[in-house]
Amino acid sequence: MTERELDTHLVTILRELESLEYRQTSPRRVRIDVTREALPGLLELLKGRASYVHLSAISCVDWIEDNEFELVYHLWSYESNHLVSAHTRIPRETARYISVYDLYKPAAFFERDIFEMFGVYFEGSPHMEKFILTEWDGPPPMRKDFDAEAYVQETFNWQSYHPDWLKELEEEGGGVAIRPEEVRR
Amino acid sequence: MRPENYQAQSHPPSNEYELFIGPNHPGIEGNYAFKLKLHGDVVLAGKADGGYLHRGFEKLMEGRLWIQNIALVPRICVPDPVPMEVTYSMAVEDLCGLEVPERAQWLRVLQLELSRIAAHLFTFGGHAATTGMYTTSYWGIADRDLILDLFEALTGGRVYHIFNIPGGTRRDVPPGFLEQVSQTLDYLESRLPDYDNLLFTNQVFITRAKDVGAMTQEQALEWGVTGPNLRATGLAFDVRRDDPYLVYEQLEFDVPTEAAGDAWARAMVRRAELKQSFRILRQVIERLPSIGGPVRAPIPNPLAWNVPAGETYARVESSKGELAYYAVSNGGDKPYRVHVRGPSSMHAVQVLEWLAEGARLEDVAQIMFSLDACPPEVDR
Repeated sequence: MTERELDTHLVTILRELESLEYRQTSPRRVRIDVTREALPGLLELLKGRASYVHLSAISCVDWIEDNEFELVYHLWSYESNHLVSAHTRIPRETARYISVYDLYKPAAFFERDIFEMFGVYFEGSPHMEKFILTEWDGPPPMRKDFDAEAYVQETFNWQSYHPDWLKELEEEGGGVAIRPEEVRR
Repeated sequence: MRPENYQAQSHPPSNEYELFIGPNHPGIEGNYAFKLKLHGDVVLAGKADGGYLHRGFEKLMEGRLWIQNIALVPRICVPDPVPMEVTYSMAVEDLCGLEVPERAQWLRVLQLELSRIAAHLFTFGGHAATTGMYTTSYWGIADRDLILDLFEALTGGRVYHIFNIPGGTRRDVPPGFLEQVSQTLDYLESRLPDYDNLLFTNQVFITRAKDVGAMTQEQALEWGVTGPNLRATGLAFDVRRDDPYLVYEQLEFDVPTEAAGDAWARAMVRRAELKQSFRILRQVIERLPSIGGPVRAPIPNPLAWNVPAGETYARVESSKGELAYYAVSNGGDKPYRVHVRGPSSMHAVQVLEWLAEGARLEDVAQIMFSLDACPPEVDR
C-alpha cells in the first residue's frame, strides 16, 4: 500500500503531528498509535480537517501485564471511505482520561460503557453513572483481574440449592447428574 | 408489596409527571425500559434504561475458545442473527489471515440477505403495531416464518443457526434449496402490493408516521446514526457498497434513500431495501451453482487453535445499521477482548432520548420501533 491511496488530507495531518505512528493495515484501514496527550488534538484535526465525522466506537482493552488500558477510537470518513483506528494507552492505576464528547456525541455512550465495565473515568463526559449494571457494586467486571467464574462459585451456593422438585426427583432415583464440583475442566 | 430498595420521595407540586415504559412494551424487540417526564401528553425528557438483558457476552467470550463463541454471538441480536456470526468469523479470519473460499462467501451473502429480509418484515410488523395496525404485525411475523423455514432447511436452526464458522460455512446448501429460496422470494414479492395496501399507502399510517421522530442529516451524522435510519435522512451510505466485504462488490444493488428523516421515511427505506435484498438474492441464486470449490477453508484443530496476536475491526451492514466487532488476540486459544459495536447502541440510547424530546406520548413507541433498535446489542 502506498500513501497515495490514502486520502491526502489525512496524510497531511498525520505528517504535521509529532509523537504518532501510523500504518495502513489494509486498503481501507489505518492504524494510528498516539500518546494520550496528543489523542484529543488528533481527533479534533481528523474531524475538523479530514472529514472523519463518524465515531464508530471506542474500545477498551485491559493489558493487565503492562498495567495499562488501551483505548481505541474507531473513526470513519464518509468522504474518503477510510476507517482510522487511533490507539492510545493510559495507566491502569489512575484509570482517568478525558472525554471527547464535545467532538463526538456518540462518545457519551461508549465512555459510560467503559466507565461501567472497566472503571475508567472520563472527565467531562455527561453520563458518568451506572447504566447496565445498576445493581452491581463489585469491581468493574470487564477488568482482567475480575474472574467471573470464581465470583459465581463463591456467590451462588450450588450445593445448598435443594428445592422440593429436586428432592422428589432424587427419591425416584434421578437428580443432578454431574455435581458442579465434579465438572471436568 | 414494595421492592426492598423502595424509598418514598416527595416532590413539590408540579404539572409534570413521570411515566415508566417497559421493560416489556410494544416499542422495542426485547426488554428495555424508557423513563419519561411528561407534561400532559408531551414528552419533556426521556431516559433510556438498559440492563434487563445483560448476559455479559463480551466477558463470556473471553473465557471460551474462539470456535465456541460462534454459539454465543448470534444471541446478541435475536431478530437479525446472521450478521453477528459472519462479522465475528470475519474478525477471526482477518486475525489468522484465512482466505474464505468463494463459494462460502456467496453462501454468507445468501444468509445475510435472508436475515435482512426477515428482520425488516419483523420491523414492518412491529412499527405498524405501534400505530395500532396489528394486522401487519401478524402478516410480517407469518412471512418472516417462511424465511425461518429456509434457515431450518439450510442450517437446522430457525433463529440461531450457528452455521458460519471462521473459515467458511459448516455445510453446503441441501439439494433443492435454491429453488425453495426462489419460490419464497416469488411469494414475498407478490406480497409487497398487499403490504402497500395495508400499510405503506394507508392514509392512517402515513398520517401517524409522517413528521414523527424526525431528524436532519446533520443531526444523524452528529449522533452517530447508521443504517436505514441514516439513509432515511438522505445520505446514501451502505457498508456493503462503500466498505465492501465478501462478494458484495460483484453484486448489483442500489442504496435507497429518503429525505424526510422521520418514522415514515425510515419505514419506506426498509421497504425499498427489501426489494434490493430480493434483487441480491436472485443474483446469488443465479451465480451460486456456477461457483464450485469447498465451502470451508482448512482450519487448525479448533480445540487447540492459537489465533495469532493482533487486533482487527470487522464491519458489516446489518439490517439495523453498522455492526462491528473489535477483536484482540494475544496469541492464545481464547479471545483476549471482543468488543461488539451494535448499531442499536446509538439508536436505542442517545438518539432515542433526543428524538423523544417534544414528541407526544402516543408516538414514543412508534419512534422506538421506527429506529429498529435491538436492546441486546446495547446490553451485550
